[in-house]
Amino acid sequence: MGAGRPAAEVTGRSLCAVADVKDGGAKGFPAHGVFVVRRGERIDVWRDDCPHQNVPMAWRTDEYLNREGTRIVCAAHGALFDMDSGECVLGACLGDCLERVPHEMVDGAIVIRTNDKRS
Amino acid sequence: MNIIGPDRLIFGVDDIVACNQYLTDYGLKVVRSGPEGGLFEALDGTGVEIRAKTDPTLPPAFETANMLRETVYGVADASTLEAIEAELRKDREVKRDGAGVLHAFDDMGFAIAFQVTCRRQLTLEAEKVNAPGSLNRAVNAVATRDDEDLTPRSLSHVVYFVPDVARAEAFYVKRLGFRCTDRFTGVGPFLQPAGTQDHHTLFMIQTPPFLKGCEHFTFHMAGPSQVMQAGSRFVAKGYQSFWGPGRHRFGSNWFWYFNSPLGCHVEYDADMDLHDASWTEREVPMGADASQLFLFQSRDKWAPGGPPPK
Repeated sequence: MGAGRPAAEVTGRSLCAVADVKDGGAKGFPAHGVFVVRRGERIDVWRDDCPHQNVPMAWRTDEYLNREGTRIVCAAHGALFDMDSGECVLGACLGDCLERVPHEMVDGAIVIRTNDKRS
Repeated sequence: MNIIGPDRLIFGVDDIVACNQYLTDYGLKVVRSGPEGGLFEALDGTGVEIRAKTDPTLPPAFETANMLRETVYGVADASTLEAIEAELRKDREVKRDGAGVLHAFDDMGFAIAFQVTCRRQLTLEAEKVNAPGSLNRAVNAVATRDDEDLTPRSLSHVVYFVPDVARAEAFYVKRLGFRCTDRFTGVGPFLQPAGTQDHHTLFMIQTPPFLKGCEHFTFHMAGPSQVMQAGSRFVAKGYQSFWGPGRHRFGSNWFWYFNSPLGCHVEYDADMDLHDASWTEREVPMGADASQLFLFQSRDKWAPGGPPPK
């Protein structure tokens, strides 16, 4: 995705630098109600809100993935989510999807929009 | 059937290292903990065992996200084991392993086992409360201490999501002699086995089949202060609070639930009501007001003199 648009053109909330997210891992931002998943250059930002009971999903700070890093896990009841689509493939909200949060890269930082009232 | 309560819960998990770390930080005594699994115990010897989900010696997994693979009940004596075996053999297979532990399945397919209980009698005091009219703490004895021993005392109860709660309840009540102490309409019963007066050691919740499994388990702490202190310590280590702290109405137990890598919630509880055969079950619809007398949320410490932390 590259560094993205120059900082001067963007209004949004900067979550962190891409380098702050472990490759193959996740990072939570409770103040914004989102978490980030990084696979190499690919970044996905999801609303930290399980469709089952609308609750935060980690079991510990930044812990959103299964052991192999191949699925997102909701640590309320172990529901598993596809990392590309956000769809629940096993568990309490089978077939429902996590809500993707649009983001852009700005000078190597992950930025989400400020006009999203939940951000 | 003189069944006392759950002695041990056996999980087959995806991330053994995470589960071992979690139960260690939760405060259980580490009996063993390694890449192959772990065993974690409360003060009375009840506990939780962690194994790999691929362990071929475990009962088969459900086709759900559940990771609880067996609930091992402690019973009072060998004659109770014989009575359970005779009762269950009427309509299902019961295996007796080399240690004399019985293994079977309930009517929802949950693997259950029965052993002469491993739990040790505890001779410990509850939290001592001073109040006008009843002073219970020695003069100069201080109630609050940072180095309080927050090791959970005993495995309290387990909660199952089940696809047919009426049938599930009937098995425990009619075949194993549990009693319903209270129930939530359309949700499920709080069940008490004959060998304890605890309000419940099993609660069941009616859900669609793809949810079948364990909702949560919990250990009894010495009292509400320990629930608060242990929960706060857990939050400070980065663990995710789910619900609590608060106090339930049915059972009156203080509660604080957390997310976990075991595929279910894990709770600290304390000060549960006791009931005997003279108690009449209550029934109310489930709801926020019915589930708790009050509910709080953890926050950063503050002292007056400036604005509170956000």
